[in-house]
Amino acid sequence: MTRYIVRRLLWGALLLVLVSALTFVLFRVLPTGDPARLRAGRSASPKVIAAIRVDLGLNRSLPEQFWLYMKGIFLHFNLGYSYYSSASVRSLIADRLPATISLTLGAAAIWLAAGLAVGIVSAVRRRSKLDRAAMGTALVLISAPEYWLGLIALYLFATDIGRLRILPGAGSYVGLTSDPGKWLTSLILPWLVLAATNAAVYARLIRGSLIEVMGEDYIRTARAKGLSERRVVLRHGLRSAINPVMTILGLDIGVLLGGAVLVETVFEIPGIGRLNYDAITHSDFPIVQGTVLVAALFIIVANIVVDVAYAYMDPRVRVS
Amino acid sequence: MSDEPLLRVEDLRVEFPTEDGVVHALDGVSYELRAGATLGIVGESGSGKTVLSLTTMGLTRGLRARISGSIGLEGRDLLALSERQMQAVRGNDIAMIFQDPMSSLHPLFRIGDQLAEAVRAHRKASRGEARARAVALLEMAALPDPERQALSYPHELSGGMRQRAMIAMALANEPKLLIADEPTTALDVTVQAQILALLSRLQRELGMAMVIITHDLAVVAEVAQEIAVMYAGRIVESAPAGQIFSQPEHPYTWGLLQSIPTLEGSRSERLVPIAGAPPSLIDRPSGCHFHPRCPYAKPDHARIDPPLEAVVGEPGHRVACLLAADERRRIWTGMR
Amino acid sequence: MSGATAKAARMAPRGAVALRAPALNRGAPAILAAVALALVMSACGSSSSSPSPSALVKSISVSGIKTPQTESLTAGKRGGTLTVLDHEDFEHIDPGEAYFTTDYEVMYATQRPLYSYKPNSFATPSPDMASGPPEVSADGKTITVHIRHGVHFSPPVNREVTSADVAYAIERGANKNVGNAYFENYFGSLVGAEKANGGPFPGITTPDRYTIVFHLSKPEAQVVVDALALPLSAPVPEEFAKQYDAKSPTEYGNYQVATGPYMFKSNGEGKVLGIGYEPGKSATLVRNPNWTPATDFRPAYLNEIDIKIGGDTNVIGRQVLEGSDLVQNDPVANTIVQLAYEHFRSQLQVSPGAGDHYIAVNNKQGPFANIDVRKAFWAALDRTAIGKARGGELVTNVMTHFLLPEIPGFEEAGGLTGPKVDYNEHPEGDLAIAEKYMRLAGYPNGKYTGAKTLQVVGSTGAPSSEVAEIANNTLRSLGFKTKLSLVDQSVMYSKYCGVPAEEIDVCPNVGWGADFADGQAVLDLTFSGKSILPSANNNWGQVDDPAINVAIEKAQLINGQQARAKAWAAIDRELVADAAAIPADWDKEAAIESKDVAGVGDLWNVGAWDYSFTSLK
Repeated sequence: MTRYIVRRLLWGALLLVLVSALTFVLFRVLPTGDPARLRAGRSASPKVIAAIRVDLGLNRSLPEQFWLYMKGIFLHFNLGYSYYSSASVRSLIADRLPATISLTLGAAAIWLAAGLAVGIVSAVRRRSKLDRAAMGTALVLISAPEYWLGLIALYLFATDIGRLRILPGAGSYVGLTSDPGKWLTSLILPWLVLAATNAAVYARLIRGSLIEVMGEDYIRTARAKGLSERRVVLRHGLRSAINPVMTILGLDIGVLLGGAVLVETVFEIPGIGRLNYDAITHSDFPIVQGTVLVAALFIIVANIVVDVAYAYMDPRVRVS
Repeated sequence: MSDEPLLRVEDLRVEFPTEDGVVHALDGVSYELRAGATLGIVGESGSGKTVLSLTTMGLTRGLRARISGSIGLEGRDLLALSERQMQAVRGNDIAMIFQDPMSSLHPLFRIGDQLAEAVRAHRKASRGEARARAVALLEMAALPDPERQALSYPHELSGGMRQRAMIAMALANEPKLLIADEPTTALDVTVQAQILALLSRLQRELGMAMVIITHDLAVVAEVAQEIAVMYAGRIVESAPAGQIFSQPEHPYTWGLLQSIPTLEGSRSERLVPIAGAPPSLIDRPSGCHFHPRCPYAKPDHARIDPPLEAVVGEPGHRVACLLAADERRRIWTGMR
Repeated sequence: MSGATAKAARMAPRGAVALRAPALNRGAPAILAAVALALVMSACGSSSSSPSPSALVKSISVSGIKTPQTESLTAGKRGGTLTVLDHEDFEHIDPGEAYFTTDYEVMYATQRPLYSYKPNSFATPSPDMASGPPEVSADGKTITVHIRHGVHFSPPVNREVTSADVAYAIERGANKNVGNAYFENYFGSLVGAEKANGGPFPGITTPDRYTIVFHLSKPEAQVVVDALALPLSAPVPEEFAKQYDAKSPTEYGNYQVATGPYMFKSNGEGKVLGIGYEPGKSATLVRNPNWTPATDFRPAYLNEIDIKIGGDTNVIGRQVLEGSDLVQNDPVANTIVQLAYEHFRSQLQVSPGAGDHYIAVNNKQGPFANIDVRKAFWAALDRTAIGKARGGELVTNVMTHFLLPEIPGFEEAGGLTGPKVDYNEHPEGDLAIAEKYMRLAGYPNGKYTGAKTLQVVGSTGAPSSEVAEIANNTLRSLGFKTKLSLVDQSVMYSKYCGVPAEEIDVCPNVGWGADFADGQAVLDLTFSGKSILPSANNNWGQVDDPAINVAIEKAQLINGQQARAKAWAAIDRELVADAAAIPADWDKEAAIESKDVAGVGDLWNVGAWDYSFTSLK
């Protein structure tokens, strides 16, 4: 098992290098805004733009720029400096990461719980009115754009602009360490919005998975043992049904840790997603490269964790 | 041992409404089983043998099945029990083992845990006690190194060992009746004999009744005292085991016997399959269900339902056939 | 004007980038599939319906709505904290780099250039760091400015400001680490400017502690004087800034000191980054303890200004309108403008003169090299539809000539209605007149019959894309075949419309804003043949009329506001007669405040709320 993990980690490192290279190339080759020009302001003279280009190291050859960049990351963990504020990318990311982590993990907990609850009930009462209503609602939520849901949530419940003023609105996020109470309440609406779509997906997933599992022979055996139906469903059925769901959960969390831009924007949460988006509009390459790298790292790690967890959860997999 | 049969099934009918129509799975089945006795139920797929055993366990409830008749266990009608009461019976008074132990054991739990669970479902026992009992059960089922096996997962065991484990699990609470649905079908021939031997031994040791369901006459020949042949949801013949083989009365039984390969027969002797296909349970043939495939059917066999009647001169032998008894004898003698 | 080609620095259409474009419509490129990051924006375009303007609006201010000209500058109450919600971040907060509307909001509250503007004035700067108006020599080649006594830098520098600090501030504009965008354009006429690289040069001398003298190689005093109102002339202490200006790019902005009533919150060593400014997150302005009100015309009522960056414009708009102690200080979503107009009118301010949008057509080659074809396009275009697309009567006026409202010379050039020529008469578009000009151009049926397919390049995102569609359809109605491409705005300028070699025929989404209230700031770089550049070109239509070029050269040398106004108005009329470009709309900018904020907007900065004059009720 250790050899397996080590192998995966090495492979992951290679993947990170590839991702860096790809980001690097894409942003310099595609017709995005020229960062030197954007930094100078559109009004600047070509001479000024050229000077800034030298400042930012953009006058060097692409391979040379790339080599310097790679060296910086892998030898010094230096992700470069923002073209705009000259703040170090690493510090910017470290500053924004807690918000994204708070948002992601909280939402994941909620959508997993909700998805499980609804999915199990739906599976057990298949084709009942309850099941149809639940799956119908799920379909609507899956189709609803996150951004729109966020706006609706604010217009309904935000203390500053909502109809029912019960929860803190956009911009109320504070770090966990500065005010735990406010941190928690400011995240409730964003969690719910982020969880809504996913809960719906997971409910459908779990429903499907559980229905399939409940048709298995070993469920019949469990019943034949005289176990209560509740135990059969929750211990025997769910235990099998949850495996595929867990792997997906791991991947979803990995992706979200790269930043949930839409929710972060609507609720004004200073996370990685928003940082990335702002950097893109300014062609602030170092930040973009940094955030993409961090996001890729999360996904790679999530993949490895999920694979290992799966082996742990399903003993049959370990044999191979 | 009392004279009262352990299990008395009376006129059991089970129907399942489906999109394509109503499936008549059991069409008035009646039989008795004494404590400690072994009954073999033989039939093709679709004969209703599995539904019969599942219904006895109460596992066909809730599938929108329409069940009528009665299943008396020591005088208690199981069909009248609530689900909770039935849960107390399953795995406790009546236990069941299934055809494929690989798919019938939970792949993600250890064997020992699954057995311990069966124990704790019906009696108060601490974790440690249940686990100890699990190991003891595995030992009783002749599993080598039962301590280690208890920690294994189903996929780590061979087919034969898995079936032993399943048997051990079924016997955890010393049931009065064990239903074994095709217990050897998924196993190698050599292992089959071992399992059958195990079942016989355990039955004797625990004094429990057993119902073995199979499509293979050879299996029941070894262990059953009494054999019932089912076709299209009905018992068409039932008799003490020896008589089924020496003096079968039903044309379907003849077909079954003729399609068994034997070591004694010459190599050139051709196996004779039963002509035709099993009937649809939605749209069954009227009258005698077997008449479309019966070489000896007469026109009015399509109209009249043959009742299950005793055979004159052979105690314990019943058959549901509209042919006259002597005519049947004549045909059978000609076939041998 | 000779050397105009060397004056390559463009004017910032500094509002233009931020105007009218809700942040999410900037068209960001999607992230790599390899990491499966879902960062696709769902464009949240906010189009709005507006009251239908069937006739030209006769007055700039829609009735009942306040403008910067109507707000009181002296009635404020002292104290309190104003919270500002901006959905976009600053571009630069270094006074040598700042060149953007949002940047100016904090710059003019913390820095004191030699001259600056009172909120209700654009034409007349007030002495700020200077103690009086500039003294221009008779030959127009020397400018002398005296600075105030008793103005001190904020901690940790603390000492009194001297003329050397002003000199250093302007000199560092030429430092490549600072990369000031307008040094070359406005200060290029100073002696030795072309060789300047951040150190002293002959064009700027400081005979004593409180006097600074500018020596020009050409008599272009007016432009230099006007430029002294830009943040570059705000004093910077060399001994403190040197170490930061040596870094590439400069880090002075992250450690800056202030001379204005407010300063960025900082630590003991003067570090602003991470304390008073967290990029993309927030900024905090606190009172500058070393500022003395007696030396300043600013009242500075507020104790603190908290700026929160990020979020969605619609949400911000509602939070401001329904909350308290809040303002938004960057472009307001059109839906919010409507909402404010209907339900929160007293909290809405509309400011004129926020720039313009027009359609550049290729004067050099292709069908539009013909003046009659240009006039036809002008006549056919429905400018009222364009105004509607951009938000309607509240925030636009139909554009009829090329100077901006509030620029001296605007009225002489025709005011709102513009010169009386038939192709200008019908802002809804008049196909009959258009066809008349097409026939004059040599197309007997009134429709284009040539073989060329027009290359039309616009920008993505609402409302620019809608405007591009309107223009495109108009071209089609004149018989043209067109190929319309919509790209990201910065790409549109940098790769297509700003590059003559691309030979783009029509650029329907170009726009401009004025750095200061002078015709030169509007028309020079955009319509002079001498301003055409191979890249970063702002004369998008490559207008190169010899008579106009001469008039522009002459006008640059005139001194005195009135004389200049007349000269530039005449140039404007010439441009209309030449149909050099097709006007679309003049922009007004809307701003919103909470009900308990007595906001004062800056007329000279698209109406942005001025932190030194705003107060809480």
